[in-house]
Order: sequence, then C-alpha cells, then structure tokens
Amino acid sequence: MERMSWLSKLTPRAGGQRAPRSASLQPPVTADPETCLMVFKNHWAQVLRILERRGSKPAPDDLSAVRNNTYQMLNLLAEDRPWGDGDKDRSQGDGDMACGPILEFVAAENLLERLLCWHLQGDFTEERKVEQLKLYEMLISQARQPLLRHKPVLTPLLRLLSVCAEPASAPLENSLVLLLNQLCVSVAREPAILELFFHSHTDQGPANLIIFSLLIPFIHHEGARGQQARDALLLIMAMSASNRAVAQSITDNSYFCPVLATGLSALYSSLPRKIEVRGDDWHFLRREDWIGVSSLVLFMNSLEFCNAVIQVAHPLVQKQLVDYVHNGFLVPVMGPALHKTSVEEMIASTAYLDLFLRSVSETALLKTFLRFVLLHRHDNMTILDTLVGRINSNSRLCMVSLSLFRTLLSLNCEDVMLQLVLRYLLPCSHVMLSQKRAVRDLDIYGKTAAKFLSLIPRCCRPESPPLPRERDEEPPSRARGHGSPGADAPPAPKPSTPSRLSFFMRQASVGPAEAAAPRSPGPPAGSPSRPGPRDEVAELDRNYLEYLRDARHSIDRCAWACRVWSAPYDGEDPRAPGPTPDPDSPPGQPPGPPTPRTKKRGLPEEGVREAPGGPLGGDEPSAGGPGPEPRDGGTLVNGAHGAAEPGRPEGDVVVKKVRRSPQGEGEGSRGAPNGAPRAQPPGWEPLPSVDSLLEELLARVPAEPPGAGVSIETFTEELREIEAEMQNGGVGGAPATPAEPPEPPLSHEEEEAFASFAALPEGDAGAGRAPPRPPDPLAQVVASPPRAVGPPPSQPFTGPFVSVLFGKLENMPHNSLYVNFLLTGLVAQLACYPQPLLRSFLLNTNMVFQPSVKSLLQVLGSVKNKIESFAASQEDFPALLFKAKKYLIARGRLDWAEGPGAVPALRRTDSLARSRKPSLGELLLRHANSPTRARHAAQLALQGLRDGGLHPLAPPARHGEALRVRNAVYCAVIFSEFLKELAAIAQAHAVTSPFLTE
Amino acid sequence: MNPFWSMSTGSVRKRSDTEEKTLSGELRTSPLRASAKKQLPSIPKNAVPITKPASPATSSQSTNGTHASYGPFYLEYSLLAEFTLVVKQKLPGVYVQPSYRSALMWFGVIFIRHGLYQDGVFKFTVYIPDNYPDGDCPRLVFDLPVFHPLVDPVSGELDVKRAFAKWRRNHNHIWQVLMYARRVFYKIDTSSPLNPEAAVLYEKDVQLFKSKVVDSVKLCSSHLFDQPKIEDPYAIIFSPWNPAIHDEAREKMLTQKKKPEDQHCKSMHVSGLSWVKPGSVQPFSKEEKTMPT
Repeated sequence: MERMSWLSKLTPRAGGQRAPRSASLQPPVTADPETCLMVFKNHWAQVLRILERRGSKPAPDDLSAVRNNTYQMLNLLAEDRPWGDGDKDRSQGDGDMACGPILEFVAAENLLERLLCWHLQGDFTEERKVEQLKLYEMLISQARQPLLRHKPVLTPLLRLLSVCAEPASAPLENSLVLLLNQLCVSVAREPAILELFFHSHTDQGPANLIIFSLLIPFIHHEGARGQQARDALLLIMAMSASNRAVAQSITDNSYFCPVLATGLSALYSSLPRKIEVRGDDWHFLRREDWIGVSSLVLFMNSLEFCNAVIQVAHPLVQKQLVDYVHNGFLVPVMGPALHKTSVEEMIASTAYLDLFLRSVSETALLKTFLRFVLLHRHDNMTILDTLVGRINSNSRLCMVSLSLFRTLLSLNCEDVMLQLVLRYLLPCSHVMLSQKRAVRDLDIYGKTAAKFLSLIPRCCRPESPPLPRERDEEPPSRARGHGSPGADAPPAPKPSTPSRLSFFMRQASVGPAEAAAPRSPGPPAGSPSRPGPRDEVAELDRNYLEYLRDARHSIDRCAWACRVWSAPYDGEDPRAPGPTPDPDSPPGQPPGPPTPRTKKRGLPEEGVREAPGGPLGGDEPSAGGPGPEPRDGGTLVNGAHGAAEPGRPEGDVVVKKVRRSPQGEGEGSRGAPNGAPRAQPPGWEPLPSVDSLLEELLARVPAEPPGAGVSIETFTEELREIEAEMQNGGVGGAPATPAEPPEPPLSHEEEEAFASFAALPEGDAGAGRAPPRPPDPLAQVVASPPRAVGPPPSQPFTGPFVSVLFGKLENMPHNSLYVNFLLTGLVAQLACYPQPLLRSFLLNTNMVFQPSVKSLLQVLGSVKNKIESFAASQEDFPALLFKAKKYLIARGRLDWAEGPGAVPALRRTDSLARSRKPSLGELLLRHANSPTRARHAAQLALQGLRDGGLHPLAPPARHGEALRVRNAVYCAVIFSEFLKELAAIAQAHAVTSPFLTE
Repeated sequence: MNPFWSMSTGSVRKRSDTEEKTLSGELRTSPLRASAKKQLPSIPKNAVPITKPASPATSSQSTNGTHASYGPFYLEYSLLAEFTLVVKQKLPGVYVQPSYRSALMWFGVIFIRHGLYQDGVFKFTVYIPDNYPDGDCPRLVFDLPVFHPLVDPVSGELDVKRAFAKWRRNHNHIWQVLMYARRVFYKIDTSSPLNPEAAVLYEKDVQLFKSKVVDSVKLCSSHLFDQPKIEDPYAIIFSPWNPAIHDEAREKMLTQKKKPEDQHCKSMHVSGLSWVKPGSVQPFSKEEKTMPT
C-alpha cells in the first residue's frame, strides 16, 4: 500500500529555493561592508525624504521611488553580515547577537517599522501588500545572518502578517503562504526564534503563534499553495515535538486540530457518492484508481497530512488531532456515510474506508479508525457488525466489504481479531468440553491437509480435462491419450524423501549444494516427453508446493506480527470474560494439576451444549447430494444454516446423529487425535436434567423461524442472554477442567516426563498417563429430544463474522468468480493466524465441536457435494471446467508478466486485482484511452471479455442460466485451489518455527 | 554404506478401501535432485497405485488397520514438525540435524555433562522408518559402540525399543527418543541388556565398569575428528578449534543470542497491533502511555 512519507518530500523543498537568484544578485554587492553601508544609507535618505513629506497622498512617483529604494536596501540588508564574520562560520557568532553594520543601522533607525507605518497610513492595496510580502520573503530566505531574532525586523514583519490575515486574492495568498513557509523553515533551523514569536504582541493577540494561525486556513487547499502551507505547518509540528509550549499553544490557542479534522469531513462530503466502474471485478480503490479523481486526491492529501502530523507532532497535538478525527470526522461523517441506504453509497463509503485504513500508517491514527470501526455504535449497532453483515449482500457490496476485511485482517491487530472472532471462541463453548485441551494440538501428520484435499470434488480431479498449461488448443481427450509411457516408469532406483527440510529450515543462502538444487516447482522447461495421465495430475498439482511455500510465509509473517499481542489465545490465556462466564471454571474450583482423566468429568456441560443443537449441527451438510441447491442466503448464524435449507422436510427429525466428517469417512475410527496426549471424548449421555432445561429454554425462543427475518444483532443478543442464563442455571456444579500441559516440559522432572511417554509394553496402568483411547464415533452418538422447530438460539455461537463467511462459503457455487476469489482469500488469511483457538476452530479436523457448531470442514463438504451434483447434472461439465481453467490461467499469466516474482497461483486475489487494468480514475473521467490489459486478457483467453459481459463460458442465450453455470464452473476451479491452499496452511502450521513466537 | 538406506526403497502403501480419500503418495522421487519437483500425491480414480517392494522393516506393519497412506508431503512435513518439536524441547546437550539426502535420517551428537559418562561426546544417527509414524520406533545408532548395557557392542545401536515397545503416533515423538538416549547415560538400566558384559560389570564390579566407561569415553573422544561415518553434506563434523573459522562463528552465535529480535526484524518488517491489556479481553483496554513532557 502506499504509505505516507512526508518528511522526505519536505526537505528538498524547504530550503534553498532561491539559490539561483541569490547567486546572481551577489556580485554587485560584494563590495566591502563600508561601501555597502554608505550605499544603504544613501537609499534610506531618499526614502526618508518621501516618508517625512507630510502629505495627504503619496504621489505615484513617490511610491515607485520608495519601492525601488527599498528593494535595493533589502538586498543590501540580505547580504549584510556581522563584522569579521566569514562565510563559513556565520552561525558561530550567534551567542553574542553580533550583527552586521547595515542591520545595526536598521535597528537604530527602526527603519523597517517606519517604512511599514508609511505604507499602512496610505492606501495599502493588495498589490502593495504582495510587494511587501515578497520583499520580506526574499529578505528572510537570503539573509546572511539571523534576522528574525532582532525585534526591529521581527516586529514589522509580524505586523505585516497580521495585516494580511483577512482572506484575499490568490496572488496575495500565494505570497503570504510562501513567506510563512519561509519563516517556518527559518524557525526550524533556529528553534530559539520561536520564543520571540510568542512574546511578540500582534493584533492577533499575545502568545498566539501568528504564523501558525495564518497557515491554518490553507491546510486543505489544493495545489502548490496548500502543499506549501502543509509543509510549513508540518515543520512547526515537528518543532512542537520537543517544545511543550508550542504544543500547548497549538492545542489551546489554535484551531489547527479541529480545522484539520473537520476539514476531512468537508472534503469527504465532496467525494463521489457513487463509484462507477464497468469491470465486474472491481472491488477496491487502488492508487491508480483515485489519483485521477481530484476530490479524492484532495481528501487523501489531507489524510496524509493528518498522518504526517501525528507522526511528527508532540503527543498533546497528536492526541487532540486524533480525538478530533474521531469526533469530527469519523463519527459524524463516516458513520452515517457507511449507513446510507443506497447500495451505491454503501459501496462507495466502504471502499473509501478501506482505502483510508490502507493509507494510514501512524499507529495512533490507525487506532482511532479501528476504535471507530470496532466500538462506535451507529443506530445501536457497531460499525463492525454492519460491515460484517454487508458480506452477505449483493455482489459488488459484498466484494468491497470483503476487501475491507482483508485489509483489517492484514493488520494483524489483536483488537480486531478479538472482536471479529476470538471473543466468540474464548469461552470454548464451541468445542466439546473434553476437547478443550486439544485446542493447542498441532496436526503434525498432515491429517487435516489430507482431509481438505480429499474434499476436492471428483469432477475436478485430474482425470478430467487437464490443465492446458503448455499446449493451447489440444483437445483434452487426446492430451490424455498419449504419452502414458512415462506414467508407469519403473520406480527410481534410489528412493527416499528428498529432504526438503533443509529448504524449510534454512534460507536459500546456506550452501552451494542448496543453490544447485532448484526447488522451484516452476514449469519444467523442456520436459522431454508429453505428460501422461499421472504426470498431468502432477501438473495440476504442481502448484501445491507453491501453496506450501506461501502458507509458510504467511504464517510466519502472521506469527511474527502477533508476538506483540497480549495473550496467546490458546484456550487458557486469556480466560473468557465475566459476562459470559466460563463454564469450565466455576468459582471455587481451583484449576488443579493434571489429573488422571475420568470418563465422567464434564458430562453435564456436554449434555447441555450438545442437546440443543443436536438435531441440526451434527448433520452432514447437503448429504442428499444432487438435490436442488439451496441459495443459503439466509444463513446468518453458524449452525442455523441447516434449518434454512429447503429440500429438507419440515419436521425432519434426526434423533441420533453420529458426528463425523462430511464425507462420512471413518477418519475418527483410527488413531488418536493429533498432538499431545490428552483426553479422549468419552461416551456422552445426555442427562435428563439437561433435557428439561432445554425444553424450558426452547419455550423462550421467539416464535419466528430463526434465520428468516432475524437480523444478526438481535439474534446475537437473544442468544447471549439465553446462553448466559443457561450457563448460570444449568451447569452449576460442573467440575473444572484443569489444564494439562500439552507435553511434559523438559526439566529436572525429566524422569516424570519420560515415564509419561515411554510407556512400558502394554498394560501400563501405572505409567501415570493412560494411552489415548481412539475415539469411537459411535461412542459419540448423541441422543437428543425430537424437535420440529428451527435451531434454538442457545447454541454456541462462533460469531457473526464466521457465520457470514461460512454462509457465503457454503453458497460458493452461486457466488461470482470474484466474490469467491476474495472470500476464499479471506478465509485463508484467517486460517493463517497462529492462535490455537482460531487455528483449531478452522483447521483441526479432529476436534469435536458442539453439534450445533458448523465446522469449516462441514461447510466445505457441503460445497463439494453441491459442485459434484452440479457436475453430474451438467453434461458438458468437463469441457466447461477446461475452459474455465484456461481462462483463469490466461488471466493469471498476464499477471505474472506484470509483477516480477508474482506467484502464479491460480487463486490469488492479488493477481486478480492486478489483472484489472483500467483504473477507476480513467473510468470515472471517461478517458477512453488505450487498449486495456483486461482486453488483452480476454484475447489471450480467446474470448470476448468486455465490460464483464461475455464470459468465456457464457453462451449467447439464456443469460440467467448461463450465469448460474458460469459461476458454478468457476467455483469448481476456485474451490479445488482453495482446498489446496487450506491444506498447505494446515501443514505449515505444524512447522512454524518456535523462534517466531518465543 | 548405510543398510537403512537401501531398505527404504519404497513405502508400503495400502490400497485404501475408499478411493476418494486415497491420497496415494509415492515415495518415488526423481533421482535427479535438480528436477525435484514436489508432487502432490495424486488422487487417481482408476489408476492403480504402483506397488513397490515392501521394505522388510515395514512389511510387518499395516496390521493395525490403518487406511492411511502418507504421501511424501505428509511424511516430510511430519518429520519437519518432529524436528520443530525437538527444537522446542531444547534438550540439554543434544543436537540433531536431518541429513541432506533424506528426511528419514538425522545426524546427532550428545554431550554428557555429569555422571559416569561425564565428558562423553557421542555421535549417533537416527533412522526413522519410512512408514513413520505408523511404523516401528526410530532407531538410534551410535557411531562408535559406547560401552553401555543398552548399546549393542558391535553395531552401536541403542535399545530404543524397550522404551517404545510400540510406536504410537501422536503419543510418541522423536524428541522423546533423543531424550531417552540422553537419559540412559544418567540412569543405567541393566535388565535384558544388549551388552551383557556391561550389565554384569555394572551389577558386580562398578569400579571396573567405571574404568571401562572412561575408556569408552576416551575412545569416542579420540575419534571425534574422524570423518563422518555417513557421507552427507549435513553430517555433523568435528574439527579442532581453528580461530580463523570458529572465532567468527562463535562471535556470530553470541551476538545472535543477544538480540534475536533484530535478527528477525531484518527479515520481517511486519508488526501487528494490540491495544488489549494483558488479561483483558476488551479491545482498546490498554492504558494510554503517559505523556512525555
């Protein structure tokens, strides 16, 4: 993102603008000081004659005479230097206030003051003011000795400035700003002068930094004038950092902060209400987009300036400005803007907010923005909730919202993550109690990855038409036909796993051997034979290593960034907050040391948690397969989805459900859960009391069908209430689950630790730790009361963000290509967070969730089924899939050409962004120029892609149906890639370097 | 050169009953490292997995009803994860390094700092079965047969099996083997020894045992600078102190220790944000810093 660097721009501009001129002026006055003084006195005598002529009005001749003489005099004054002061050390004599002969004379005569008085007496027209300003500006910028510290210079100058305080013509303002800028540069060089400005009394009042107050009106001006004003102000701000008096004067006696902040509001109001773009993939404002929109440029200038001020100014100023930005811009303007009723305006304001968040680099300012987003309530709803809800909306609005969340997630901000996801996971009510300690487990054997990969729909697997990577128009059937010899080649004589550990553990710089073995899975240049079927598989899957590498990089980055967080979020620290009491640690039950597990422990809660959602959550999503595909629009709450699904008869009662993976694979039937030894889910039996409690709770459930007309927030509210009540009433005496360290720490208790793992052969009852019992899926049969109504709101809730994302994910086959790009990217981003709570929720497929909690795996399973049933219903699916891949690859290729080192991953959202060439600015301004890259992309794909109109897969007729097919086919491609990405992320989590988080 | 090397000519892969989840990986990889492109285990619907000669070590497996066939990806990542766990454990005096050629072979060295074996520096190699984690426990072979009841006097192999009779995935990890290898030198176990002489001596004549141990330690030390037993770029090599090389390396290590933050900062410029007070779960609960004056 374009981050702001202001000071770097500043330095060259500030000083020495006039260097050439001063050089040219030098020769005539390099005469000896004596002569200069004589000449000066001569000029002054002539001026004085006019000044002393008491007349009503000075004649035009007088004016020009004074003007000429003054010009000469001030040039001489500028060249004046203290006695015996060489060029080199003119700053040396500062202490003794040494001044040159001319300056001495000027002071003695109070010459400048008298001159100004004369001007003021007469008709001080704008032109004359401009003249004066220019003279002073010249004087200050070229003076060879510090002038401003001398009252006879400073006082008339300040007086002149105060005369110019009124709004005036552009030339006057230009001169004024230039002079002020010059003054600031001088002051920045010699901060001591600042004091003098304070103590000088002007018409503007004492202790008022007049330079400053004069500059303020120009803060938001455009063009050079505004820029000079902002530069000048910034110099003062930088000075304030070390001078509390200045800072205080800025905050107490100036309107700097309010003007700056509320100026943003004014500028915001002139931004386009509607962002008109033709490309259907547009989803966020890039620099190229806004640089052509003048009102947006203006706004961004001012925002950048705010950012710069906060960067350099004194904390007092910083705080005041930040407060004003919050109360003067965000709350009164941004808040309502985000809540405009028209979709177009929502899109615009969301895109703006995203742009602002990406542009702000100063932490303090960012904090204000985030605080606004996370905590500010507009119409009794936090901005965050509103934005989360928007993900559910129509295509474009959904896309900008997703972009915004991508930005938010990329900040690695604990507060954001806390509000979005973590606080819902903190109570751990989404997992079975016995699984709580498994939150920290890492899946080191790649089981999760295998699970994810197994969800790649059959129809997308490599037997389908291959990816046309190297060849272009070859019919898939033929491509598959030949070249099989390679497939069944005899196994390599010296097999082993080529150790790529080194690749992961060490950087590429390690050894020559390392460099000699390129690990890049790039296209095998000049691969000898046509790929056979098996190689095509490899070809398709070749990018898996890239996904692995990306995943590792992303996770490392994220883990490293998150080390500033306050807590690890591992299920233990922090504890869930008070209002939603942690059911697992009732007061009075101290968390003890690890105890041998018993089957009974924690039963009550499990019963409570399980029973309510039992009929729904345990469902296999869309188990039916080729049924009608629900649109899932109403899915708001995690777990509520099932009920909203049509195709399931009302009153379909599921009494007993085995919780298992969406595929129904017997994964759980073997092997203990991953990671450290821990408790296994015991067999659960609901307690009678739980049922009665449930009945009671159900009686309170609002009559309307959940998921229908209930908005998220009311739903959440109710849910929380009931949840809290349930926890208080229902699970009073639950025993605590003491935390068991995942692995025995290595210390002097090594013996103990050893005993714990080095189990003696069989029957090691005395070893302190029972061997993990493989979870028997049948043991997890949940009996729950038959219910015909929708899901009770008392289910564990994983938060609106997760449920909206999952809902949208489940709807993938119907989403547009671009929505799916962004959506899957966002989920992948979420999955990269290393916090065990989040990681286990998204990626631990062994984790046993409360039945009402839908897991990512379930959602993906349902998408898989949808895609498969679609493929089954679509005769030409393989051909369509082939085309879709071709299109996406062509598009991707375009991206690689563009960005050096860009990862040619098919699914990358950033490449999507990059491939979108025509900038918004162009489009807004209707610049109909140049062939765009998008068109190139289209040509490359041999398709007419224009204005999002004709997609490669769109047959001419039956547009709605075509759209449906197109979306579904693209979805199949994206989905498969997404699964690989998730699998890679899951694998990479297990190998995150411990040094990153320590 | 290395018997285990030739043994691992393939992995036993069982046909999974449901093809769908068969991520039938192959351990076959191109012999040319340069073209070592990683393949995702394929998911063939009709393709018959290439069955390879089962290695003797692994043929006994597959009885426990596992359906899993671990592709090289999973295997390598599992081993990498194991290695990460070892790093996390910070076992005192134990260092390992996976070999360059195979992730299934780790070179290691153990420094004994107290007890009977004090000053012992024992190089060893860990061989991980290629059907890990469903196979036997890894084997640990000392380069030189240390005089110890549990170390085979001929092959130098440590009796790991007694501690890990049955290797259980999830439960057992390689760091435990390493910890065990360290432990045997501190706590001598003489039951069913691989080196009966050592066991008997320990029981009957500790003094003689001790002197034999001292000899053994000395012998190992005298061979410390020998060429590594297995040629590998990542084999652990000892050499006499050479200031030209080692001074700098030492300096680097020490400074790195001082500021690990900086080391990482150079590679990663990202920093997250947090205004959450430790212990709180409220956003923006951290107090503002007091203002400097």
